[in-house]
Amino acid sequence: MIPLVSNTSQKTFISRLMQYPVTRAILALIVIFVIGLVFNGGGAFFKWPAHRDMLRQYSVFGILACGMTIVIITAGIDLSVGSMLGLSAVVFSLLTIHRDWNPWHAIPACIAMGAILGVVSGGLISRFRIQPFIATLAMMVFARGLAKFISGGMKISTSIQQADGSYIYKNDPAIFKMIDSRILDGNLAVVTLIFIFCLFISWLILSRLRIGRYLYAIGGNEEAARLSGVPVIKAKIFAYGMCGLFSAIAGICQAAQEYQGDPEAGVSYELTAIAIAVIGGTNLMGGRGSILLTLFGTLTIGYLDKILSINAVSEAGRLMLTGVIIVSAVLLQRRRK
Amino acid sequence: MAEKKPILLMHNISKRFGGTAALEGVSIELYPGEAHILAGENGAGKSTLIKILCGVYSEYAGRIVLENRPVKFSSPQDAARHGIAAIHQELSLIPAMSVSDNIFLGREKMKKNGTVDFSAQTIASQKILKRLGIDGVDVHRPVEEYPISIMQMIEIAKALSMNSRIIIMDEPTSALTEPEVNKLFETISALKLQGHAIIYITHKMEEIYKIGDRITVLRDGRFVAAAPIADMARNALIRNMVGRELNEQIQRRSKVCAEELFRVENLDIADPQGNRNLVNDVSFSARKGEILGIAGLQGSGASELLNGIFGAYGPVSKGSVFLNGNPFVVRSPGRSIEQGLALLTNDRKTTGLVLGMSIVENITLASLPQYSPVCWMRNSMEQKAALRYKQELNIKADELSREVSSLSGGNQQKVALAKWVGTKPLVLLLDEPTRGIDVASKHEIYELMNRWTAAGCAIILITSEMPELIALSDRIIVMHRGRISARLEGDRITQENILHAAMGQEREVA
Amino acid sequence: MKKTRSMLVGIAIVLCLALTAATWSAEKGTPENPWVIGMSQCNLGEPWRVQMNADIKSAADAAPSIKVIYKDAQNDTLRQRAHIEEFIGQGVDLLIVSPKEAAPLTPIIRNAYTNKIPVIVLDRRVVGEDYTCFIGADNKKIGEAAGRWIAGKLNGKGNVVELKGLMTTTPGQDRNSGFRKGIEGTEIKVIFEADMKWLEPDARKEMESALARFDKIDLVYGHNDPAAHGAYLAAKAAGREKNIIFVGIDGLVQEGQAYIKQNILQASFEYPTGGKEAIEIALKILKGETVPKEITLKSRVFTPENLEKGGEWLPEMPASSAPAQPAKKEQ
Repeated sequence: MIPLVSNTSQKTFISRLMQYPVTRAILALIVIFVIGLVFNGGGAFFKWPAHRDMLRQYSVFGILACGMTIVIITAGIDLSVGSMLGLSAVVFSLLTIHRDWNPWHAIPACIAMGAILGVVSGGLISRFRIQPFIATLAMMVFARGLAKFISGGMKISTSIQQADGSYIYKNDPAIFKMIDSRILDGNLAVVTLIFIFCLFISWLILSRLRIGRYLYAIGGNEEAARLSGVPVIKAKIFAYGMCGLFSAIAGICQAAQEYQGDPEAGVSYELTAIAIAVIGGTNLMGGRGSILLTLFGTLTIGYLDKILSINAVSEAGRLMLTGVIIVSAVLLQRRRK
Repeated sequence: MAEKKPILLMHNISKRFGGTAALEGVSIELYPGEAHILAGENGAGKSTLIKILCGVYSEYAGRIVLENRPVKFSSPQDAARHGIAAIHQELSLIPAMSVSDNIFLGREKMKKNGTVDFSAQTIASQKILKRLGIDGVDVHRPVEEYPISIMQMIEIAKALSMNSRIIIMDEPTSALTEPEVNKLFETISALKLQGHAIIYITHKMEEIYKIGDRITVLRDGRFVAAAPIADMARNALIRNMVGRELNEQIQRRSKVCAEELFRVENLDIADPQGNRNLVNDVSFSARKGEILGIAGLQGSGASELLNGIFGAYGPVSKGSVFLNGNPFVVRSPGRSIEQGLALLTNDRKTTGLVLGMSIVENITLASLPQYSPVCWMRNSMEQKAALRYKQELNIKADELSREVSSLSGGNQQKVALAKWVGTKPLVLLLDEPTRGIDVASKHEIYELMNRWTAAGCAIILITSEMPELIALSDRIIVMHRGRISARLEGDRITQENILHAAMGQEREVA
Repeated sequence: MKKTRSMLVGIAIVLCLALTAATWSAEKGTPENPWVIGMSQCNLGEPWRVQMNADIKSAADAAPSIKVIYKDAQNDTLRQRAHIEEFIGQGVDLLIVSPKEAAPLTPIIRNAYTNKIPVIVLDRRVVGEDYTCFIGADNKKIGEAAGRWIAGKLNGKGNVVELKGLMTTTPGQDRNSGFRKGIEGTEIKVIFEADMKWLEPDARKEMESALARFDKIDLVYGHNDPAAHGAYLAAKAAGREKNIIFVGIDGLVQEGQAYIKQNILQASFEYPTGGKEAIEIALKILKGETVPKEITLKSRVFTPENLEKGGEWLPEMPASSAPAQPAKKEQ
């Protein structure tokens, strides 16, 4: 997306810089980072493991946020990403642990399932004109139910119950160990690499492909886009399909990190994904935003969570502080006219 | 009119935004009981001056004296309390709320017990509407059920209910048909007699000379001239506004071929939201190089006809369309663009442009496949094309990466036109292409229309400005209630013929 | 007209009487006419509760004289209340309920009890005494046992990370307070504690923070096995899992006990579901026998050493302490 310059020309360099959404996103991140330096949890913030682990933990949320960003740019929303994550975790574990599938068949199968469910949501929204909130809420409930149905309500793990009630124990599949491992001399988690890959794909879609321009136009003014010949229905279906696809990838990463497929995994992850997109600066009204902003949003929320964790802040305190900081960050983001 | 003391004096007003001066040393005098025209091209500073008067901007240099007392408004509410009301092109009514609720919005009549006194509001609203001479409005119905002309009246009623002494009207007639405009002018005359002062902003020459008592002309943020209307003839007015002699005559250099390019037969267009027909059994044709004008009052179905042909409502229920002799498939906007049709809608802000996107992005939106082989965007190709169109249409913008919302109305319209020209259409459907645009830009667009038709395009033009319609069209069809009520060409093109046919009256052809 | 109508009414009455007589004639508590037990579960989101229902089901399947109807309230108190009302209206012979919360559900459970429906309360308490039998494990005692075991294992001295369950629930509070009582008087320090809400990914995240902050951690006490497992994964990624002891609670065969087998946990304290015991007690009640008011379930501790022989019963679990109370099934 061609960087937009705002209307009025400002005097100082700083205020002109503040017109760019990226600057504001970086500013929010810097503020959180400084807070971390001050409240450093007994020095933990100064050590590399704290940062590396934060990246590991938030890679899953970041992958969800990639899909969510794409959908929000079309002025839509996808509440089902958390449930699709759980469903994908269950199906992936079922296929690789219980059914001994080749992981390189299981992964595409899960991703395809996520994409198909996403397309269904997209179809309901664009073709049948159901509001995104409602359609994806329904998908959220359905996918969760499907996950519980497939798994029988139990976690799919290496302990497999036999017909007579006893259990046999399998080894963790190699693919799980691989995804949950680190590279670069133990400094970068593989899931973070997957997150970066998803960022790259999203960037390609939004900034370099024709479909990205269509998505921004639809979010900016759907009717004007439609009358300009933009294939609105197909584009929206694509957006939700991609979101489902990313949710499936996130589910695979989650399952690998837990070494099990938990049908309850991902509950309320959609809220975190939305918070990440919004804090990054992507506007819920659509037509604006970028993957770079989402990256900064992920880091901002990730660091916030980590700082609260290493300082062992009580649960009540965390909830209240998170609420206050999210609102503050959004106020900081306000576009100056 | 007896010389009274001015009710309002804005003296030496200056306003800067960052480095640019929007206004420098502008003064205006307003007398009670007059309609004062504020004239100037887009960007002359009219809206800035008005915003200062309405309290939108509280930082400025200069003095405002209202009824002999110096004032400085800190907010729009402050200005409203002092009796200043503004009616903008974008109406500030809440569509889903009732008429009386809208009139009293923010100033509800309260009962002693703290609840809203709806019956008092109803009575008061009905009284005001009666004073304005409007019948047939049920003040309990939501405002959105009424046409724009009535909505404007409701805005005026709102201003009156606030006992505003000064009423500002910004391009109030752009969405009105001629009878509605006359009604508005009657209301304005009544308001003048009651002692209200009206500041009236318009681009329409006939209106200026019909309704105006005095006129102030601005140019490039500076005061140029102020005079009673009688003392400023048309040519002088234009010279003041543009700084040069502009021949106001609209030139049409027609090069119509005999070859038929576009034909519509027995077309029905159904209302997408109902079960009636917006357009009934319409047939017409357009030739290569021709400008075919469509005239019609509100509800005539002209706009719907063009939208329907373009595929905005999906496939047509009955009838056929032909382009260059081949059957033309009406299914969707995208399909129509592929086949060589383009539609400039009548509302660039809501259906024409994506305001949040840049100028370049808007220009290329309808023809993206040209700039994205294998779906990969080529920014350099886009930039080159946008630059070309910028020059061709003389779009005034310093940076093409700016948001299109930062441009003036005229330039925005040119961006929209550039978008459609970029699709290399065979037939251009233009719905009110010069609405809300300054004079200079209008003439540029007329010139462009001449150029495009000379290249072999056909243009089907809807415009509610009669002089424009008559000057530009080679032939005219008039619509009334979804049907063609007259086909006019040559000598039979007269304002009277057009108006009669538009109102559905049969007239004996002379 | 009138004649045919009264004839039809007459036939209807005779049919009704015949049907009731037919059902009355078959004795209750037989495979043809089993006792109906209503089982109201507060949620099936936790695998432990899925296990509870599974335990009830396997015990019930083995007893042809009873039939169990299951209702899942999906963790909604009002829905659970509606379910119990439905059971009462249906006229079940016995009610087993594992309530989401005590106070809001006490009135309706009391209603069933006073209407001659025997009530077995499982795992979470109600307020007051209006039930037939309460079966549950004592989280405080389990926590205390864990504390004592940990104190023994660490020889009374060491740095411990406590990963707590949702501290707004009783199990979380009890497992925490019990543990603190168990390590009282020792030099064991809880250097880091966090609420992981019973979730493994959260536990892993909190453990990572603890590892980043503290160089010396001797033991991790997780309020459930998934927490201990998540902590293990975090420690493993940091290369420190060999120096840390991991202790959890729940002891499910496919989870806690499996982790013991794989040497991930060094101890898992069983939190019995009570499903099997519930059916045993239910059968006794339905047959007219007396049952105790309170049954505290015994619990075992599983360690790598004793896993083969099925764990070790914890000493401070009395079999039952409350006096027996007559609780016959009434006419």
